[in-house]
Amino acid sequence: MNFLIVGFGAAIGAFIRNELTLLQSKIPVDFPVITLLINIFGALLLGIFTAKIHNGAILLLLGTGFCGGFTTFGTFSMELSQLCFQHRLWRCLLYFVLTYIFGILGFIVGIHI
Amino acid sequence: MVKEKGKVFLLLLIGAFIGSNLRYAESLIFKTSDGFPLGTLIANLSGALLLPFLIHYLQDRYNLSSQVVLTLSTGLLGSYTTFSTFTADTYRLYENGQWQSLLIYLTFTLVGGFLLALLGNYWAAGQAFNDYVRSRRK
Repeated sequence: MNFLIVGFGAAIGAFIRNELTLLQSKIPVDFPVITLLINIFGALLLGIFTAKIHNGAILLLLGTGFCGGFTTFGTFSMELSQLCFQHRLWRCLLYFVLTYIFGILGFIVGIHI
Repeated sequence: MVKEKGKVFLLLLIGAFIGSNLRYAESLIFKTSDGFPLGTLIANLSGALLLPFLIHYLQDRYNLSSQVVLTLSTGLLGSYTTFSTFTADTYRLYENGQWQSLLIYLTFTLVGGFLLALLGNYWAAGQAFNDYVRSRRK
């Protein structure tokens, strides 16, 4: 039963992530803003869910499933490596720092509000 | 348009279903006694290595359609790896005062994730080069 809950939550998360990522090409900024915002917002949401939801199945659906599927480490790492290969090293460093600092802060804010 | 969105949803459903459950299974298999998030770490690091290899090698090598690539990259590997759980794990280790585990986890995720993504690109380029050499010999 658990695997259905996780899979369904992740599918919704991945679909929303994909819809948002499509907006990247429409933004006149040469920086992976969308993935950055997805990961920060997803961490914030997971913080809120972790603090407010005490039902194991619902937390599995929204936390492990939805937030896990919505946020992504693979795309983030790949975008970092691309910036590095394009010799945009400051952008690469900025993306790295912003993602980790605001991502972890996002979770902490989420768990306390 | 609606039909098209429905198709995208279905493809992502398949990919995300498999990816998220692989991650979930790893978190159960690699459960440690001190709560070190080994499952998440393995999922994130292996996903970081595989994604560039898929995009820069497998896609061309096997002539994968854009639908298959969407399913495997955005769907499967996108949901197999996770950033939100990483932040939750980090906070938990900090709250519990597990400083050594926190340091190891942060180092492996931050440095390892980046290095493995670079390695995935080199791996893809290396494989493509080998294929080219092999095709020239024939």
